[in-house]
Amino acid sequence: MINFQYLRTTVVKTALGLVSKDPKATFIAGGTNLVDLMKRGVTAPEKLIDINHLPLKQIELKNNILHIGALVSNSALAENAIVAAKFPLLMLALQSGASAQLRNVATVGGNMMQRTRCGYFYDTTMPCNKREPGTGCGAIGGYNRMHAIFGTSASCIAVHPSDMCVGLAALDAQVVIAGTKGERKINFVDFHRLAGTTPEKDNNLQKGELIVRLEIPVNNLNKHIHYLKVRDRSSYAFALVSVAAALEIKDGSITNVRLAMGGVAHKPWRLTTAEAFLKGKTATPANFEEAAKLAMKDAKGFGENDFKLKLAPNSIIEALTIAKSKA
Amino acid sequence: MGNLFFKDENDRVDGVDKVTGKAKYFAEYQLPGLTYGVLVTSTITKGKITAIDSKAASGAPGVLGVLSHLNKPSVAGYEAEGGAKLKIFYTDQVLFNGQPIALVVADTFERATFAASLVKVTYEKGAFNTDFEKSIKDASVKKLQGAAPYVRGVENAYKTAEVQVEQTYVMPVETHNPMELHGIIADWRPNDQVTVYAKTQGVKATQNTIAGAFKIPAESVQVNSEFVGGGFGMALRTWPLEIATVMASKHLKKPVKLVITRDQMFTMVGNRPAAHQKIGLGATKDGKITGITHTAFGQSSTYENFTEGVVNMSKFMYSSENVNTNYYIVPLDMSVPIWMRGPGEATGAFALESAIDEMAHALDMDPLDFRIKNDPEKDPAQNRPFSSKYIKEAYKLGSAKIGWDKRKNKPRSIVEGSWNVGYGVSIGVFNAGRGRASVKGILKADGTLVLQSATSDIGPGTGTGMGLIASKLMNIPTDKITFELGDSSLPPAPSQGGSATLSTVGSAVNDVCVALKATIAELAANSNMDATSNFVDVLKKNNLPMIEKTIQSSQNNPDAKNYSMYSFSIHFVQVKVHQLTGVVKVSKIVSVGDSGKIVSPKTARSQMVGGAVGGIGMALTEEAILDNRYGRYVNNNFADYHVPVHADVPEVDVIFIDKPDPIVNPMGAKGMGEIAIIGFAGAVANAVFNATGKRIRSLPITPDKVLMG
Amino acid sequence: MAEIDTNQSGDTRRDFLKKSTLITALSLTPLTVLKAADNKVDEQFAELFEKIPLNLKVNNKPFSLKVEPRVTLLDLLREQLRLTGTKKGCDHGQCGACTVHVDGVRVNSCLSLAVMNEGKSITTIEGLANGDVLHPMQAAFIKHDGFQCGYCTPGQIMSAVACIREGHANSKEEIREYMSGNICRCGAYPNIIDAIQEVKEKGAAI
Repeated sequence: MINFQYLRTTVVKTALGLVSKDPKATFIAGGTNLVDLMKRGVTAPEKLIDINHLPLKQIELKNNILHIGALVSNSALAENAIVAAKFPLLMLALQSGASAQLRNVATVGGNMMQRTRCGYFYDTTMPCNKREPGTGCGAIGGYNRMHAIFGTSASCIAVHPSDMCVGLAALDAQVVIAGTKGERKINFVDFHRLAGTTPEKDNNLQKGELIVRLEIPVNNLNKHIHYLKVRDRSSYAFALVSVAAALEIKDGSITNVRLAMGGVAHKPWRLTTAEAFLKGKTATPANFEEAAKLAMKDAKGFGENDFKLKLAPNSIIEALTIAKSKA
Repeated sequence: MGNLFFKDENDRVDGVDKVTGKAKYFAEYQLPGLTYGVLVTSTITKGKITAIDSKAASGAPGVLGVLSHLNKPSVAGYEAEGGAKLKIFYTDQVLFNGQPIALVVADTFERATFAASLVKVTYEKGAFNTDFEKSIKDASVKKLQGAAPYVRGVENAYKTAEVQVEQTYVMPVETHNPMELHGIIADWRPNDQVTVYAKTQGVKATQNTIAGAFKIPAESVQVNSEFVGGGFGMALRTWPLEIATVMASKHLKKPVKLVITRDQMFTMVGNRPAAHQKIGLGATKDGKITGITHTAFGQSSTYENFTEGVVNMSKFMYSSENVNTNYYIVPLDMSVPIWMRGPGEATGAFALESAIDEMAHALDMDPLDFRIKNDPEKDPAQNRPFSSKYIKEAYKLGSAKIGWDKRKNKPRSIVEGSWNVGYGVSIGVFNAGRGRASVKGILKADGTLVLQSATSDIGPGTGTGMGLIASKLMNIPTDKITFELGDSSLPPAPSQGGSATLSTVGSAVNDVCVALKATIAELAANSNMDATSNFVDVLKKNNLPMIEKTIQSSQNNPDAKNYSMYSFSIHFVQVKVHQLTGVVKVSKIVSVGDSGKIVSPKTARSQMVGGAVGGIGMALTEEAILDNRYGRYVNNNFADYHVPVHADVPEVDVIFIDKPDPIVNPMGAKGMGEIAIIGFAGAVANAVFNATGKRIRSLPITPDKVLMG
Repeated sequence: MAEIDTNQSGDTRRDFLKKSTLITALSLTPLTVLKAADNKVDEQFAELFEKIPLNLKVNNKPFSLKVEPRVTLLDLLREQLRLTGTKKGCDHGQCGACTVHVDGVRVNSCLSLAVMNEGKSITTIEGLANGDVLHPMQAAFIKHDGFQCGYCTPGQIMSAVACIREGHANSKEEIREYMSGNICRCGAYPNIIDAIQEVKEKGAAI
């Protein structure tokens, strides 16, 4: 690793100024992904701006909207009483990710910014359009068991590795972004991008911009919820697929529903068609199966990950079934 | 000591060191002027290095030198004929991807790491083959005989049997990946004396390898390796990277430390070879085995052959008049494998014990009854008795403990919510070997006993076991006994491998204790003391501060040649398989060890528990995945090569038969490190079949295989 | 020191950098520094501004150091402070062998840049026992044989203590989940769980 320059600040504006003007500068928060990538030579910033001392650590409910500072750690968010009471789906998603040690350090903003775990992305000797545009995609025609089935492109089939983000995608969160010219707000589901022809871009953040907080509107989805993560070992592994499911059921019929998946796309994958189908229907196994089938429209396997075409709908059904059963 | 708990004589002797961080592993020795090495590795799989541009690296801050075949510091043993097959920095040939091709040494770890990233290598690429499964089918790929073909009775007799099973079982490359990264500290002094701090399962082997490579007397090489952070077989040889570090120390005249990275652990220190096995089983309708045919292929390298006992177990585990085995190795452009816990047998047992289960199912017999029915009284391969074997008792104890009576022969019989429940059993076996070792015993008038031997402890608790042997014989409490190991200047002992340390070194401890007692008795008699006098009194009476004895144990009981000596294990598991996701959870484990007398109950139990955990990995999660287009591993890290975590492991019930073997050694104890894992994966696969009706013949049994199977 | 505390933007950095020669040096990009060193212009000069000050406490002992920003907390502990009880198992946050407490919170020290721990209090395995009296978790690991080779043990113990303090040791299942960031290749898991459960149930102050 290059002996980069290290600067620390307590002021958001200063941090923004330092990174926006310097193409070789980047922010560091928890560092659990960035330091890893720097050790592997995947990225080599020459200047790190330590943002851990910025005042972005609040978790507060204002006008029925939960505000979460970008520097709140994953564990602090998972342990928060408001989150446990009002957004248990987010709590479960957070608890499914990484390990206790990593969650203690990894921040909300950093979790959103984490790069894919694709082995070709991590190995600098292999082709990867995300790491080095134009070199090709190693995973297509290679080892792609962990890879995407939705929204793929000819240049990249990597998946976004976050669990937290799957929960947030289901919860209609919004992302507040600060830039040198002020703040802007975008829907969480629009934050991450599909690979398209620019897989090097994971999300729609511009150079020098910083995630400062999330806002989640309070809902009634705090009872019939489940986060199902299917993985190769029982914990501390990335998802083969994961499903965030939340139902609001009145008199046996579904009045509100949220479904999102992880491990299947370049971004957290919201299942809007399946949601639309389920809304107003009764919470029955047959309807869950139909919803899962609808969710899989346009899914495409790449050989080793063909099993996801079966695992994904099965997981949707299982997550909905468990969510329904929760009292 | 702790204030909450009492010390137990069975506690590990090095427990306090290990829980306080005082235990020093090789990389933790501080030498004045210590420098840091970082390896540069090949990024092609086969070919020739045409240039190494190390100008930027050499000029980077703190860099002391860049070693490669271009400057080729002298290694006398490499210049002589023969010797190591991969002569590090003596060749421009690339034999596998990730081969060490240069070593950058700097004054700090960070500077060495950065400088290594500045080394630019150009290659002339050659055609290569790393595709094991494809090579099995491809007749044009060379295969070598890995062992002499074995035929007892009629070859392929299973083909004419009333009931036949013929199946293929596949296993991927597994990596040892002990928690401690491999490496070495080397300190070559101007007088051609070299001291190394090594991670090794054999200090004498490391000493001899280094002495041989540099053509210096063995006494000129001092190897220290008191604590070893796991090995599982990978530290049974001195790897080229260790020679490179000694080379660097000699060349730069400074102590050099090299600790390799986790991804380098996949290509530089061996692996359990991938295996492809065909089993043919024949039986009568009433369940008598009439033929076993076992053909195995194992992955090997192009520059060095590696073989192991994959087909051994099929020769003697079951009564069958007709058995034939064949074993081949497939040389590929990969780094050379090495024995990994339960070497050969763990691979073979998965195939054989799966096939046995398949046959029991075909016969509609309880697989336990089928095994008992075909359990041989004598070793059918050698036609001689087993020194001891309590398999039937083990079946009985284990099946009662797991609740085998709940199992139904018909798969998918037990359902709990979204999970199907199944039970499986498998047997494990490993040679109960015993080698020759020397131990020095120093019995002191202060009431203490010091024992010394150049053996190792990679984790099983060597010192603890030896202390308990000596404690019983000498009637000295264990806290008055010190066992010194991991030092090549101590009396010689073989490497720690093949579950033989307790048997081998323990026999020498036994013999030295007997000799010390005899000397004490003699001294007592000479000084008119009672023969049962305490040795402290005897020594004091004789004005002796201590007495010393060094004994080399005999290699075997003279009667041993008349017996077949094996350790056995029976693994029972209960699994739960999720109907919709294919996730398999091992929910109950009962492992029964039939390994003679248990000398050190606490550490012995831990070995069995650890074997079960390794078995879960082998069965469900572990697979090193190579992209054959590039010859590189794509999951060479702990996030993607899945070894089991806490959440994968239920409580493990361990049962020991605990009856002394009358032949193997004075303690009556047989080895158990290997049997702890051997057979386990088969038990899981059999349980998955019982739960789901799906027979997964390819490890690991990941959710996708169950779902699509 | 590389601290920037001002509400101004724009010229902040330049103003700040005027404060000392050390800081001025920091404005040079590392590549420039490297080039200077590469040409052997002045290696001592290069070294001077490659390192920045770091004040932290380790096991209650204060340290004032100068370290390169790229040095991880793990390598600082092991190679510079010679506290080798904290282990390097993967160097990528994938095994937990390097677990230490930072201001009482368990973290993987391999992924933490040392300079990011300015002003913090680090506890390592060496700081857990009270003199010769073992911490209850250390004693429980011995009693239950919660290790074999011992290499993952310091990380397991630091994590185990935190697991109880966090309130995540209420059942075997919960302990297993919250300890899953600590890999043990020897497979001592069930014994480790027994040790944690006993310490938790005995309720000793940890």
